[in-house]
Amino acid sequence: MKKVININFQGRILPIEEESYETLKQYIESLRQYFDAEEGRDEIINDIECRIAELCDDRLKKGAVCITEDDMRLIIESIGRPADFEAQDGFEATTSASASNGNQQQFSANDENPKRLYRDEQNKVIGGVCAGIANYLKLDPLLVRVLWILLFGISFFAYVLLWIAVPNTSAHQIGGARKRLFRDIDAKVIGGVCAGLSKYFEIRVRYIRLLFLVPSILLVLNWNHFHLFQFWEFDDFPNFIELTFSPSAVFVYIVLWLVLPEAKTTADKLEMRGEKVDINSIKNTIQTDMEGFGKRAQSWGSNMYNKTKSDDSQTATTASNTAPEPAQRGGCLHFAGRTMTILFKAFVYFVLGIITISILAALFGVGIATTGLLPLRRFILEDGAHNWYAYAIIVFFIWVPVIGIVTAIIRKIAGIKKANVWVRGGFWSLWALSWVFIPLFFATLTKSFSKQNEPQEEVYKLANAKVNYLEVSAQQKLKYYNHTWLKLEPFNFFDSDTVYVRNLRVRIVKAASDSFEVKYVRISNGKTVAEAERLASKINFDLNQQDSSLFLDKGIAINKTDKFRNQHVIMTLAVPVGKRFKITNKAWEQVRVSVDKRGLRSQTGPNIDFPFDGDNSDWYNDAEAFDYDYDVEYIMTPTGLERVKGQPSDDNNEDPEQLKSRLEELKRESEKIENDLKKTWEQKQKEADEIKKQLDKKGDTIKRNSTKNEVAVSDTVKAIAFGFDAIKLLISRFQS
Amino acid sequence: MFQLTAMDIQNTQSQMRKGVLEFCILSIINRGEVYPSDIIDQMKAANLHILEGTLYPLLTRLKNAGLLNYRWVESVSGPPRKYFVMTDAGKEAFSVLLQTWNDMANAVSLLTQPQTPNTEA
Repeated sequence: MKKVININFQGRILPIEEESYETLKQYIESLRQYFDAEEGRDEIINDIECRIAELCDDRLKKGAVCITEDDMRLIIESIGRPADFEAQDGFEATTSASASNGNQQQFSANDENPKRLYRDEQNKVIGGVCAGIANYLKLDPLLVRVLWILLFGISFFAYVLLWIAVPNTSAHQIGGARKRLFRDIDAKVIGGVCAGLSKYFEIRVRYIRLLFLVPSILLVLNWNHFHLFQFWEFDDFPNFIELTFSPSAVFVYIVLWLVLPEAKTTADKLEMRGEKVDINSIKNTIQTDMEGFGKRAQSWGSNMYNKTKSDDSQTATTASNTAPEPAQRGGCLHFAGRTMTILFKAFVYFVLGIITISILAALFGVGIATTGLLPLRRFILEDGAHNWYAYAIIVFFIWVPVIGIVTAIIRKIAGIKKANVWVRGGFWSLWALSWVFIPLFFATLTKSFSKQNEPQEEVYKLANAKVNYLEVSAQQKLKYYNHTWLKLEPFNFFDSDTVYVRNLRVRIVKAASDSFEVKYVRISNGKTVAEAERLASKINFDLNQQDSSLFLDKGIAINKTDKFRNQHVIMTLAVPVGKRFKITNKAWEQVRVSVDKRGLRSQTGPNIDFPFDGDNSDWYNDAEAFDYDYDVEYIMTPTGLERVKGQPSDDNNEDPEQLKSRLEELKRESEKIENDLKKTWEQKQKEADEIKKQLDKKGDTIKRNSTKNEVAVSDTVKAIAFGFDAIKLLISRFQS
Repeated sequence: MFQLTAMDIQNTQSQMRKGVLEFCILSIINRGEVYPSDIIDQMKAANLHILEGTLYPLLTRLKNAGLLNYRWVESVSGPPRKYFVMTDAGKEAFSVLLQTWNDMANAVSLLTQPQTPNTEA
């Protein structure tokens, strides 16, 4: 059963099957493509259409009910398809002159001379170099590719050279198999530049968008010089990477927007994708045009979504810029152009490669970091369910996505296009499963920390409490500090059974007597109060005074049986009035990773963390305690702590007299400004009134307005006067 | 080696036909006003095959070059049809081409004949 439609074709009414109508349309489109460069294109097409109509009419006169697919095929064969025109002796359109050469080249490349190195455009991933080498050496392309990735860096430049130097196997087909860069206005967000680039490089548009978007976001965050290569400490790496990661990407976008033509016609769109422009591909395109969203997505992947409206009227206006490059323009210029394109392509792929590798490295980093936490598990987690939850989270939440993403990237590199639904679904569901374990894990963990012991203050008797100066520092129980890139605060391993937790706080208060006093409390959490008490009593806190130095333990030892339940010690140092003290921060050598204006970098240097945990803000609601900084010598005065002179100070304590005079100066300035404003305001008001009076003499309404304005003016004056009074009052108060 | 030679032969054949086809079409039109599909038929009768898809562009090119003109002729059924005729310039060009062809044909037939040592005698 077939649908028959009536068409008015070149002055004849023809009943035609819908399918053969489609064939006819595609055929005519292919002719249009073929004769595109021809001067009298429209006339030729018109003549041929007339002839087709005539032939159809003949068939109907011979008794056919309608034009069937077979009829249409016969008619088209008698007139000939563009491909036949070339086979036909001579008379090709000028457009195909270069095409036939390309064809011959292709034959000889594929069949006759297998021992020449070609870039394999059919099986390419980037430029076909690896596939070409694999062909030449009769190896699996995947093998060559893996080798290439392993040697990424050296092989990259070799790749670019080969890309430029080695000819490709692709043929220049009718109307240009050559890809051209267009702006894809159908898939555009702003100007279609990203969409066009994605078609050209056959990369998903979202990655290109990201490439342009990241710099814009960085611009907002003022990270305009994000050095990607800081990760590997390539300090002198060419700055062209910066171009991509700086605001200039926006500039590049705008330039491309202006320079690139829009892909308006079907032919443009085909060229944009680099499809051969022949009947089949045109058929595909037109079919997909007709068939709407769903099927198009199947045939073109996720690339072209919103082209539903491009109809015949649009395709009829094929722009002249689809004309292939004239042969005489070839040679040197062509080569230069090709080189440029390839270099640009190479650059884009290079950046993408770097990004991919960074992502891989980061993912592995996360995985390793969390796995690195595992040894600590025994110091925190109880055996049984708790432990299993932790395992489940590490495996499902961290490693499953890491492996999933790595697999996806490798599959992409290996050129496996078809996604395995089961594998992908498996990864997703395992990851989703981890979300079940996370709340369970944290619930049990919170429970183990839920209770706290009753803190009891203990007194440490200082051997020499009457000293004038006391320096508090931490004793280093560990002989060596683990110089690892990954530091898991606040834990430091001592041996496999013990960790040290830097969970000490020092509180400074004023002493009642004339001697230093030291008190401390030992605090712990636990599942029950009894357990918390037991753990607190197990805290081994050593103090040791030598002359004017007081040494504390650097951390609290935690062992596997007792677990870490936030054991901590708060030490209170009472300082008598008139005596000095200092809390030192003995520097540890350690690697710090920091982000600054020059990018992400690691540096080795003294750490600024005090071995005692916690910051001074702990004491903000503790009326007795004082704020202090590390490594600063203080003296206790009746009113509070004061820095000993000659010490570096944070706040600029200026002379109060100076401050006062400066304040007055500011007031005067503000007065002046307000005066000026008032004057201009009144002047403008007057001007406005005059203009209004002149313009409209009838205006009762205007009069009303003007009186309103007068009222407004007087109000403003009053307000300003009130402001002055307020300022005067303020100044007088300040002075007193 | 063989395939390459075959390709060369094909290429030469195509070049020969290409040179002659235009002249053949002009000859047919020179006989009198003609409809394109008649040209195809007459060519076919002379064992020269040409696709309509190549004929139409050729006619258009010749017309644009001023060698041909066309006339709309009412047909019994359907819309009027385009009939091609020679212009004066076309006729002139045809006579030049004819002269060239005759010379060529002579030369070729002379050269393709087995060489006779004393033609003058």
